[in-house]
Amino acid sequence: MKKQFALALTLAAAFGCMTMQTQASEKTSVSVIAAQYGNNTAAWWADFEKDFEADNPDIDLVVEVVSWNDIYTKVNTLLQNDQAPDVLNIDTFADYYADDLLLPAKDYVSEETYAKYYEAFLGQSEIDGTVWAVPDLASVRTMFYNKDLLEEAGVEVPATWDELKEACKALKDFYGDDVYPWGIDMTTDEGQAAFAYYTWNNGGGFVDENGDWALNSDANVEAIEFEMSLYNDGYTNSDPANQTRYDLQDLFGQGKLAMMIGPNGIPTYLSDGGYEINYGIASIPSNTGDSIAMGVMDRFMCFDNDYSDEELAAITTFFDYFFDDERYAAWVKMEDFLPATSTGAEAIAAMDESYANWIDILGTCQFYPTAKTEWIDVKQGSIDVEQQALLGEDVKTLLDALQEDVAG
Amino acid sequence: MQKKKKNAKSWRKALTPYVWLLPSFTLMTVMVLLPILTVFYRSFQKFSKAGKIKGFIGAENFSKVLHSAKFSLVLRNTLVWTVLVVLISTVLGIIIGMVLNSEFRGRKIARAIVVFPWATSLIIQASVWKFVINTDHGALNALLMKLGLTKSAVNFTSSPEAWFAWEIWVGIFVTVPFVAFCVLSGLQSIDSGYYEAAAIDGGGFWQQTFYITLPLIRPSLTVSTVLNIIYVFNSFPIIWAMTKGDPASRTDTLVTYLYKLAFINGENGQAAAVSVISFLILCLASAAYLAIFSGGGDES
Repeated sequence: MKKQFALALTLAAAFGCMTMQTQASEKTSVSVIAAQYGNNTAAWWADFEKDFEADNPDIDLVVEVVSWNDIYTKVNTLLQNDQAPDVLNIDTFADYYADDLLLPAKDYVSEETYAKYYEAFLGQSEIDGTVWAVPDLASVRTMFYNKDLLEEAGVEVPATWDELKEACKALKDFYGDDVYPWGIDMTTDEGQAAFAYYTWNNGGGFVDENGDWALNSDANVEAIEFEMSLYNDGYTNSDPANQTRYDLQDLFGQGKLAMMIGPNGIPTYLSDGGYEINYGIASIPSNTGDSIAMGVMDRFMCFDNDYSDEELAAITTFFDYFFDDERYAAWVKMEDFLPATSTGAEAIAAMDESYANWIDILGTCQFYPTAKTEWIDVKQGSIDVEQQALLGEDVKTLLDALQEDVAG
Repeated sequence: MQKKKKNAKSWRKALTPYVWLLPSFTLMTVMVLLPILTVFYRSFQKFSKAGKIKGFIGAENFSKVLHSAKFSLVLRNTLVWTVLVVLISTVLGIIIGMVLNSEFRGRKIARAIVVFPWATSLIIQASVWKFVINTDHGALNALLMKLGLTKSAVNFTSSPEAWFAWEIWVGIFVTVPFVAFCVLSGLQSIDSGYYEAAAIDGGGFWQQTFYITLPLIRPSLTVSTVLNIIYVFNSFPIIWAMTKGDPASRTDTLVTYLYKLAFINGENGQAAAVSVISFLILCLASAAYLAIFSGGGDES
């Protein structure tokens, strides 16, 4: 009797397992690796995963949120082991495109969702006429200044490089060593952004009008020399090669830094940090009379994992669900970013009027040339040029060497 | 029949040590040997930026690394970093070990305090020291100004050399306890009779130190020095947390440099080549040290 009971129990357990297995295998799995933008990202994705699976019971969504420090290592390790995720949320895509690992965006994004993206943003992920990734969010960089410090020293908000130098001198004369007039971040984290601020606002940049690398242009040499002169004249924070943007934001919040270029998320950073300063926002000072703000954009891309129609449909469902206007607006606001879809922008502007100005600035921004496969070398190379120039090396020689390395 | 049994028994006896060694051998093969062989293999491969292997390229990765202007700078930094941290830590460790071995009130507490820097995570140590020497809101500047020694904040890290010196100091700070406790263990095994005999013969402190203490703690020092050469040479957290090797690799060592090559610049092949070079340097340095200093250590 005992034996029969044990047999029945075993059969029931085996049948139960089989049933569970069948149920699990009926579901289509979608794996996502997402970058961690801040403290709220992981919780937001956890809620998203729960809601998505409740609304799409036939899809098993697995989202792994990975910090920016680890995400490249994680993804490259997966790729080396032929375990690419289905969807990846990261900043650059050209290296994956170069290895023929990606699907064209139109293969997995529905027409309705595709029509929501700003054309200019899609263009940032276009190579040879095909878009290989879709934007998930953006941010803009512009100038922040401490109104009280400038007013007390009788300094006008600078709009040109000459005015910037004059303002820095006046602030330095007035406050001495108590206040840094101007903040620069040339660290490994964001030195390429500083390179862009000065070169773009001197008519130069990473590429020329044909999209070819033009790193050693005269405009660039002049721009980096100007950047170095701000440091050499004692107008900047003490250690630009080691003080990150966050160090500068803290100094700005403490009233020890009068002006800096930073992202649209600074107001939230200051209020979250308990800093109470009277600040203003202005265009980045320019040497050409035409100020250029910088846009930063991240992306979703889909790896070519030989999907069945069903699997591809599940990925399309994921994107439709993510870019639903209301949900997408919540995603963008979650870490204080800006939208990459026109309908999302309308939804956010309706929720919070303060976003409208930022969205306007976003329309005039320039972006890094991340669609070029040499971008990673240029990014690190431009930081290295700044750091070596900081140590007294000749800017022209450094930029010539970088151009030679990158473009041959 | 009996001979057969005897043979089987002797075989079993001969095999037994190897059976016991098998788990360790397997572990060493999987955790040490295979990764080393993999790095050697990868150093001869071409990689895409996304980390995909694109085929054999001979010694090109080594050639690129060795011809890079940065490599010689980084190699020099690594040698300076390793030699200074190991040498100064060893000298300080011997002194502290001898102090901790002597009788005084609160010796137990002193021993516990000395362990702290070693027991704390390197990242935390480096971050704390970075905060201490910070120009704008560092504890050291606050202290100096409070004591009236300085009127305004001092920039303690005004050059790459200054940063590197601070990193070496932190390296010494976290390494000294290990040496001190190795020395202490060596000192405690010395028979006090040697010192009594030396005292009777009129031997002073310095004579006792150089003719009794140092020769008898040599085995302990050999172990601590070889381990420290390896640990310090391969140390990543202090430099990464304080400067990330910046500016322009002026504070990079081989380990931070290869990390940047692999995970920031996407140059996996060159990073593997730097790993192989580091491995060979370490093997040579450790072998040379052992050959010079460990000969006859047990007998002395």
